[in-house]
Amino acid sequence: MKKSDVKQQNSLTATSMPGKKPVKARKQADLLSKPPLDSDGEEKIIPTFCHGCGSAKPRCGILCHVKNGRFVRVEGNPEAFNNWGQGCTSLCAKGNTGMQLLYSPNRLTYPMKRTGEKGEGKFKRITWDEALDTIAARLKETKEKYGPESYAVLSPEYWPVLATLGRRFLNIHGSPNYLHSAICATPRAAAAKITIGFTSNAPDDWNKTKLIVNWGANCENAAVNQGQPFAILNAIEKGTKLIDIRPMLEPLGAKANIWLPVRPGTDCALALAILNVIINEKLYDADFVTNWCYGFNELAEHVQPHSPEWAELITGIPAARIKEAARMIGTIKPSYIKIGNGVGDQASDGTATVQAICLIAAITGNLDVPGGFYAGSTVGPGLIDINRISTLPEKAPPDMADKLVDPESPIWYQKSGNWDGGPTSAYYKGLMSVLTGKPYPIRVLNATCSNPLSATRNPQKVAEALKKLEFLFVMDINWASHVNYADIVLPACTDYERNDQIEVRNRREGTWIGIYNKIAEPLGESRSDWQFYLELAVRMGYGADFWNGSMEAFLNEQLAPSGITLEELRKSPRGIFIKRTIPSPEPEYRRYAALFKNLPHGKVQCYNEFIGGKDNNDKTGKLPYLPTYQGPPEGIAQTPELTAEYPLVLSDVHAHLLSQHSYLHDIPYLRELQPYPWLRINPVTARKYGISDGDWVRVESRHGWCKFKAEYFQGIAPDVLMTKRGWWQSCAELDLPEYSVFDGGSEVNNLYNSDEKYFDKFYSQMPKQTLVKISKIEE
Amino acid sequence: MNKRYGFYFESDRCIKCFSCEIACKQWHGIKAGTIKLRKVIEVTTGTFPEVSRKFYSLTCRHCAKAPCAAACPSGAISRRIEDGIVVVDGSKCIGCRSCFDACPFGIPQFDEDGTMRKCDMCLDRVAMGQKPVCVATCPTEALKWGTLEELSDFAARKSARAYTREEKL
Repeated sequence: MKKSDVKQQNSLTATSMPGKKPVKARKQADLLSKPPLDSDGEEKIIPTFCHGCGSAKPRCGILCHVKNGRFVRVEGNPEAFNNWGQGCTSLCAKGNTGMQLLYSPNRLTYPMKRTGEKGEGKFKRITWDEALDTIAARLKETKEKYGPESYAVLSPEYWPVLATLGRRFLNIHGSPNYLHSAICATPRAAAAKITIGFTSNAPDDWNKTKLIVNWGANCENAAVNQGQPFAILNAIEKGTKLIDIRPMLEPLGAKANIWLPVRPGTDCALALAILNVIINEKLYDADFVTNWCYGFNELAEHVQPHSPEWAELITGIPAARIKEAARMIGTIKPSYIKIGNGVGDQASDGTATVQAICLIAAITGNLDVPGGFYAGSTVGPGLIDINRISTLPEKAPPDMADKLVDPESPIWYQKSGNWDGGPTSAYYKGLMSVLTGKPYPIRVLNATCSNPLSATRNPQKVAEALKKLEFLFVMDINWASHVNYADIVLPACTDYERNDQIEVRNRREGTWIGIYNKIAEPLGESRSDWQFYLELAVRMGYGADFWNGSMEAFLNEQLAPSGITLEELRKSPRGIFIKRTIPSPEPEYRRYAALFKNLPHGKVQCYNEFIGGKDNNDKTGKLPYLPTYQGPPEGIAQTPELTAEYPLVLSDVHAHLLSQHSYLHDIPYLRELQPYPWLRINPVTARKYGISDGDWVRVESRHGWCKFKAEYFQGIAPDVLMTKRGWWQSCAELDLPEYSVFDGGSEVNNLYNSDEKYFDKFYSQMPKQTLVKISKIEE
Repeated sequence: MNKRYGFYFESDRCIKCFSCEIACKQWHGIKAGTIKLRKVIEVTTGTFPEVSRKFYSLTCRHCAKAPCAAACPSGAISRRIEDGIVVVDGSKCIGCRSCFDACPFGIPQFDEDGTMRKCDMCLDRVAMGQKPVCVATCPTEALKWGTLEELSDFAARKSARAYTREEKL
């Protein structure tokens, strides 16, 4: 690091900006920028952003302590509006391990080309020029030979690089094939949008909420430092009631008034039963229903067979308990139902489940009310404007969406402008086109920052598809298991090694902008993903739309409307904060005419004419008008004929606080706390099979088998087992191994039914629940 | 009167996220798989479905009459008069583990060289007016730190339901 940079980072405030008042430094910032902690004065503090959440959008601001050129320790940046806002210095477990992530021995450090068989893992080191030239040549050749749609990219989750430059590249190249997981927020958001016209991530103020229903949401694992656990705990402290609906008694569930241990994959049955009670006991808001609900009578009739007693057999929750929860939801107002990954994204009837839950909120009068499903923003306009990076959809071929290899949601829905950023194909189904050739095979795949052997179902079939591809390129920070199938491998640097992206945070207090700073030079020859796209685009002849490869021009375009220059921002590594002088607007409520204007009849769709009767995503039939229970492909109530051989239900957690999806098992501080692939099992069940706490267990479904280490846990039903996916990384420092992603390893995706007929017909959600048998592995 | 610093922990606000435990390790440069100066532990009671899970983040309590210090034959452990922080002088420690036997909480940990280590409330940070790193990193404010007067006042006000966001420590 240059001396001049060090001086800059010790400067306290947002520096002067043209026409805007500099911001006064606060006391805490003062403390943090005092000379470093070591008496030799060599420890320097450099602010940047955390890489702990990998590709995901939330990035907490951090202060990195660097000594002798090495990143040695880390703390939260109080100026970056993390968690509860200004002054907050908190970080999660992952955030506290940044140093180990940067220096992991599993990092890829130079470009390689494959020399052995696909999957064998034999490579030869090459130069960046050779790697980029090879990729560009193959992309040009396959575009010419098979059309631009033969190129597809895997989307890990909302990853800014892919959502901006990756999309832009697809549009210019002419391919619609952004292969989205069918997991994550978009299926849930879509199901809400077609039902109540909007999505809601939170109430306007958690403290106004009298009842929180945490349904399949996992914020104490997925977003520890993003404000929600903190806000929910504050609300509980002030008397807000909590109902927690998850198969395991998770930490927030342990603080709930009622825990409903729902059998995995049966949330739709539970939601319909709650509707049944609320409707039959007339606990709904009659005025709202009369004025703003379409097809309430059809819904009321539809839920009649779905009594709590019916749901008890499916969900495993006693009918009395379901009634108790339903009465709470029907009478305690306002309430907010937090809908998570567990219900909306990974079930055969994920869409219907979210529709039914949204209808519970709607008919109880909890839409767009204080403390309820809030549709607006309480923040106020941004005070620092930047240009969003356009994906240049106008430059894409006009008929491009028609060529989607396997639309994630129905093509009629996507084409009527409902997509979020552009067309999407379903990840797993799109990959399978390589094997089936239907409707045409993907030929070139960019599997960057997403390991398809853990991110989706059936790793065996995915590996077959990877082998059959004409060309696979991967850019990753780690030697992930899918890297072995790549033709060209590129080393990505972490967020700690780049200075080529900016973050803007708009909050009630004001707006803050910060730039990434390098904590270390990129390890080996690793490079930034942003840089990669610019360089590849130039080689493809797309340079004119990619700032001719200039990162500086790219950043300047983003900053242009802000009045802040790149130079000014780089001189203010702590960022620039503009305080809000005009207070944020007071929230407005009950704007129903506006909120429902895009819904048929301008009303909430109890009877759904938005999607009902229209083509489903694979054009095998029509979508239903009413939220229809389906249940998992294999389950105790669904396939009783299988339970003699496979008596237990198995599922897995989507997010975990000690890993980032299937990554970060190589991080010693994290692996120390979860050394082995674990299986949560009720002791009663375990003893029945002679399994002791800590024993290795063979878990076998009709589709494959895995091994996990039994972890006795009382907070799980005796007929349910829960685990976690993705154990392909070893941890050398702790001498802990990696586990195979295939049969006999520890990748839970081997166990699920991956027959596409069980995927949700609206948004392609894949079920992650199955029946298994277990036995102790004798060591 | 001299200040006396302490930790205050609310199990009701703890979500077992391990941030404090890992922050302590990274800040003090402790290798994974070795000692822990702060530990998050769980106590589960009951059987399904009536189950209670309680989480605790535990470290040295910086006792006024520290049994570890009284038991130490080499005078390596002392309590700072100015702030009540119980500290260890590694150069005096002979690694006899008498402190471990004396401590009712199992706090003393032993380095690879056999000498005792334990929480020093992040003396380096406290000297700069900052909170210990475990407290600074806690995402739910389950852990607090301050003088015993401040903490007592906080707890009293909270129990009286007078607690508001503005009045927090």
